[in-house]
Amino acid sequence: MVSPVSLSFIAPLVLLAVALFALPSPGRRPGNLPLWSEYGALATLTLSAGGLLQFFVSGPMSLSVGEGAMKLALRANAVSLTLALLVGFIGWIVMRYSRTYLDGEAREGAFHGLMLATLAMVLIFVQSASLAMLVIASASVGLWLRQLLLFYAERQEARRAATKFALVWHGGDLALIVAVGLLFGAYGTAEIDALVAAASEAGLTVGANIALALLVVAACFKTAAFPLHGWLTEVMEAPTPVSALLHAGIINSGGVLLITVAGLVQLGPGAMAALVILGGFTALFGAAVMLTQSAVKTALAWSTVSQMGFMLLQCGLGLWPLALLHIVAHSLYKAHAFLSSGGAVQAVAVLKRPGPVAVPSLGAVLKSFVLAIVLYGVIAGLFTTVFGAKSAQALALGGILIFGVAYLVAQGLADMAPAELTRRTVLASLATAVSYFAFQAGAGAIWGPYLPAAPVPGPLEWALIVLAVASFGFVAFAQALFPLWAHHPATAGLRVHLVNGLYLNALLDRAIGGFRATKSS
Amino acid sequence: MFQTPLQIAPARLSEILKVAEAAARAIPPAFPLDATVAVNPFLGQTGENLATASARLARVAGIRLTRSGEEYVAAIRKGEIGDADLTDALAASTAADKPADIESLKAAAETGGEEVGALPTIADLAADATGTDWPSIIEKTVGLWAAGQFDRGQALWSPTPGTEAFAAWRAWAVNDLTPEIAGLKGFCAHVSDAPDTAERAILRAADALGLDNVAAETAFHRLLMDLGGWSQHARWLLWQAELAGETDRTLVDLLAIRLIWEEALLAHVPQLRETWDTVVAAHAVPPVPSAHQVVLAILQDASDRAHQRRLARDLDGSAPSGNRPDLQAAFCIDVRSEVFRRALESINPGIETIGFAGFFGLPVAHRAHGSDVVEAHLPVLLNPGIETTSHVEDDSEQAVRIAARTTRAWGRFRQAAVSSFAFVEAAGPLYAAKLVRDALGLPKKTAHADPVPRVLGGLSAAAKADTASAVLKAMSMTKGHGKVVLLLGHAGHVTNNPHESAYHCGACGGHTGEVSARLLAVLLNDAETRSGLAGRGMAIPEDTVFLAGLHDTTTDEITLFEDSTVTAQADNLRTTRGWLKQAGRIARAERAPKLPGARFDTVAERALNWAEVRPEWGLAGCAAFIAGPRAATAGKNLGGRAFLHTYDWRNDEGFGTLELILTAPVVVASWISLQYYGSSVAPEVFGGGNKLIHNVVGGIGVIEGNSGRLRPGLPWQAVHDGRTLVHEPLRLSVMIEAPRAAILDVLRHHPEVRALFDNGWLHLFALENGQVDARYRPGLTWEDERPLIRAA
Repeated sequence: MVSPVSLSFIAPLVLLAVALFALPSPGRRPGNLPLWSEYGALATLTLSAGGLLQFFVSGPMSLSVGEGAMKLALRANAVSLTLALLVGFIGWIVMRYSRTYLDGEAREGAFHGLMLATLAMVLIFVQSASLAMLVIASASVGLWLRQLLLFYAERQEARRAATKFALVWHGGDLALIVAVGLLFGAYGTAEIDALVAAASEAGLTVGANIALALLVVAACFKTAAFPLHGWLTEVMEAPTPVSALLHAGIINSGGVLLITVAGLVQLGPGAMAALVILGGFTALFGAAVMLTQSAVKTALAWSTVSQMGFMLLQCGLGLWPLALLHIVAHSLYKAHAFLSSGGAVQAVAVLKRPGPVAVPSLGAVLKSFVLAIVLYGVIAGLFTTVFGAKSAQALALGGILIFGVAYLVAQGLADMAPAELTRRTVLASLATAVSYFAFQAGAGAIWGPYLPAAPVPGPLEWALIVLAVASFGFVAFAQALFPLWAHHPATAGLRVHLVNGLYLNALLDRAIGGFRATKSS
Repeated sequence: MFQTPLQIAPARLSEILKVAEAAARAIPPAFPLDATVAVNPFLGQTGENLATASARLARVAGIRLTRSGEEYVAAIRKGEIGDADLTDALAASTAADKPADIESLKAAAETGGEEVGALPTIADLAADATGTDWPSIIEKTVGLWAAGQFDRGQALWSPTPGTEAFAAWRAWAVNDLTPEIAGLKGFCAHVSDAPDTAERAILRAADALGLDNVAAETAFHRLLMDLGGWSQHARWLLWQAELAGETDRTLVDLLAIRLIWEEALLAHVPQLRETWDTVVAAHAVPPVPSAHQVVLAILQDASDRAHQRRLARDLDGSAPSGNRPDLQAAFCIDVRSEVFRRALESINPGIETIGFAGFFGLPVAHRAHGSDVVEAHLPVLLNPGIETTSHVEDDSEQAVRIAARTTRAWGRFRQAAVSSFAFVEAAGPLYAAKLVRDALGLPKKTAHADPVPRVLGGLSAAAKADTASAVLKAMSMTKGHGKVVLLLGHAGHVTNNPHESAYHCGACGGHTGEVSARLLAVLLNDAETRSGLAGRGMAIPEDTVFLAGLHDTTTDEITLFEDSTVTAQADNLRTTRGWLKQAGRIARAERAPKLPGARFDTVAERALNWAEVRPEWGLAGCAAFIAGPRAATAGKNLGGRAFLHTYDWRNDEGFGTLELILTAPVVVASWISLQYYGSSVAPEVFGGGNKLIHNVVGGIGVIEGNSGRLRPGLPWQAVHDGRTLVHEPLRLSVMIEAPRAAILDVLRHHPEVRALFDNGWLHLFALENGQVDARYRPGLTWEDERPLIRAA
């Protein structure tokens, strides 16, 4: 099929073109380069939006060069264009921020060049339609990002973080390359749509099963899932816009990879189960560690670990549109959280102003859970009536989320809370519940047609669903009662271990020599 | 600072604890960032001169307390430092081994000196011996613990509140497996075996390390410096406790913690003993400046003198003062006011400005609207004496609190486990709008000013008049009041900047000057106050109206608060507003060239730009403190580098105001100037680090990157524009128009202030009729200055 080129395919070229101007002026105050960087990013955003418009008018588009295993292809459909738009938007925000933020840095020009190049690669990655394209884009993202992490290469911590990042990231790339080889060997094509079709028809070979496992490994490495999450919690060594781009764009690679090959992943129940277990555990683990972190960016990094775990869980449940929604929602939130993290002093200072926090009792918490579940029943019933029946997985996920909302209700039900506060938190809970059901319905409507539906659960799936709901429910309940037990002497040791992220990062450091004294270069 | 141990202590214990206390007092306090003020980083060294302090801090922190030799050479080459300055500085130096003449002084500057390096800790030695980076591991693990211990609400799961540092750390360290994973086998057991009081732990470690009382002094100081800002935060806890008449042990606890690490590492690598003994021997020798440190101190003095020479040239005598002013405006002594005051006075000869510390002499402990938190709006040297509040009786007080509590509940929902997923899915997409708003710098909401502050319980008529008369006397404003008198506090409007409070008013304890200014305006407009003042012979004209305002130092815009029932005539008010606007434009135009990338019409945008790391220059450049009638400085361009305190000694009976000036604003100004000095010459130890990688920790401070030491002090971007230092590191030149004998008299009664001048942390000059008359010399003597100025 010959189709006109999607404008979103041109977007990365614009970024790379501007990046070239950084080559002659890598230093301080490189003339108009910062301004052009922002304009380039804005153009990218516009082109991505244009691509979306083209899609609405004339449907999906694709572009490819080369043949066989090395075939390079891009595609523009509802999924890839959403991601391109997201990357374009985040790109504009961070480049605009960098224009002021980086002013006067010794390597200011180089920074803009590297950021633009990285952004371009992320844009290509999210639009990849062939395995080779995925591999090349992913590896390039890693190479450029490593340079950004080494922006202050004189800092030993920065060098350590960059080393660790490169090790895990390119480890993921290696898994990806082997998977690609196996898949090409099994089905003779590297084009993703064709691959999914062939595999669905022929079933998974042994090689394909190994490839699937490797894809899961690659996704876990790139989303900083347990136990190799350590690289993500240390990369605050680069200027804040790098963190914003990393946490709002690059970290999505693992999820995007899975969503891109969703049809294939869903063929392997083992792969799906692994995603549920690893993702679910990472989500809870990351969230628990986040609670204990006193440095704002570090807490945000642990939050990302946790949120990405949750996204993997959604993938594993086959809730692909929701996983995509989570990527978009999390990116927007986290970009803002990093870029505005300088406000943390103020944010903490105002906490104490209106007096002590009302602590909910056990009874209030129980009440809040009942209320939340009732609320869930009502809203889910309404949405089901309007939008049709939901899968068991979607209902389970809704349950998990409503446990979270219960915490909001619980705070309002605390004995010491004035009635007006109760009213407001209940309203906020209601708004929250309606809002996410609405977003989920929207996600299903927009992306559903392009992604596989959640599989009909068998015994394994049911077991995992129950496990997930039970464990999230338990943690949510414990969380709501938190002030009643957090300072009990019996939990002091637990807190120490959690602050340290259960030492996995220390063990990784030990394994890769991260504790070694090095001379600064 | 120590509580007496319960049992009778052996002499060795009490002696070593005395040394520990001395080491603790060598550390300057660092005020938390929610209300930070500048602190003299050499607060513990003011008893020594610059060269000796250089030697001490080189030993314990590996830093230089001056610029480098090359930088002075460059300044000499450019003619910024002249031969006269070098000659004078050389002559003034009392060092025995100073260069013979300025030629050898210049030569010594060019040859450069030895590498400055701190004496190693056992951790440093162990790193060399084992290849494991122990200093970094200690920095990380102690940093992680301290971040939680001192957290004010960033983490939802904090350590048990109210636990003393040493006990808390022990409970932490017996559980923390990181040191053992890094290779320090048995560390948890080592901690668990350590004595359970900090004092005994210090004694045991000092014995194990072979530290006698002499060597321990700088050895302890070395370890506390190694903990960076955490020590300074603990020193702040002690500062606050002592201000309240109590004491605090945290800093000693930190020393014990760091010593336990040293003890464990020495046991881990016993072959270090021999090398370590030589280090101990080096600690046992009192710090003596090297020849190069002496040379650098002389060059710094020459650099100070070069500035003084230029300043003295500019101060060419008092301008005659005119009739009753139409508008009087009192500003904070903050150097940023100088630009605006000059701009305002240039508009109309009927405008007169006054300089006074921005808390206007009211020692206020204030609760804001909807807040239970007591904020001290006064210089941190003083204790508050007046309780005030902006609480109101009506429903709006409750509404503000409910709104804040809802926001807080929402924040906890966002942060907590599990609920954070619901938050992202429900609210995440809405952040697209927030991103656009903040990226474009659109204002959030129009901020409403708090309700007018009032004194809790009210003041009696007599108390009102007493307070008012004391303040007016201190401000030298006992007569000649204008028709409109503005009382202007100041605040720096910035966005997304952890160091926001550093741009606010230092005299108001790092808060904005709004509360103090509004309180005073209301007080001075009060009918009871007025009649009481008249009764005390300090009548204020009927038609004089006081009006409070807030000077935004980022945008140079002024907000006026019309709180009083009496108010200025409408056309007077209109004229005033017009003048203020015009002055703002002039001031912005003057400031713009110094701000990277700013034009006169874009200066104000910096206040709303969330990516702006240099919203304004704060007090960078501050170099002089001038107390005298405004006539002495009016019309003279002091470049926003001088604190200007209005003072007329002829009206100061008994020189009580002079004493106040020398002991309070001068000391505060010295802290500011020395903080800028320290952050400029030793940014790695006394600077706040790089804003681009700041990570706010515990709501109290910042660390760089992912872990480690708290970084108090000014960030590099606050003193450097990317190309060059914006703050020229100079020691403050204090110039006071008052009789020489009166000044000496005050110094005689305040040895701690005198030490600042005698040891060269500040320079002191006497002015006469607006011209420099004499330079203070250590030992309470004066040296005539005028002939030298003429010669230069």
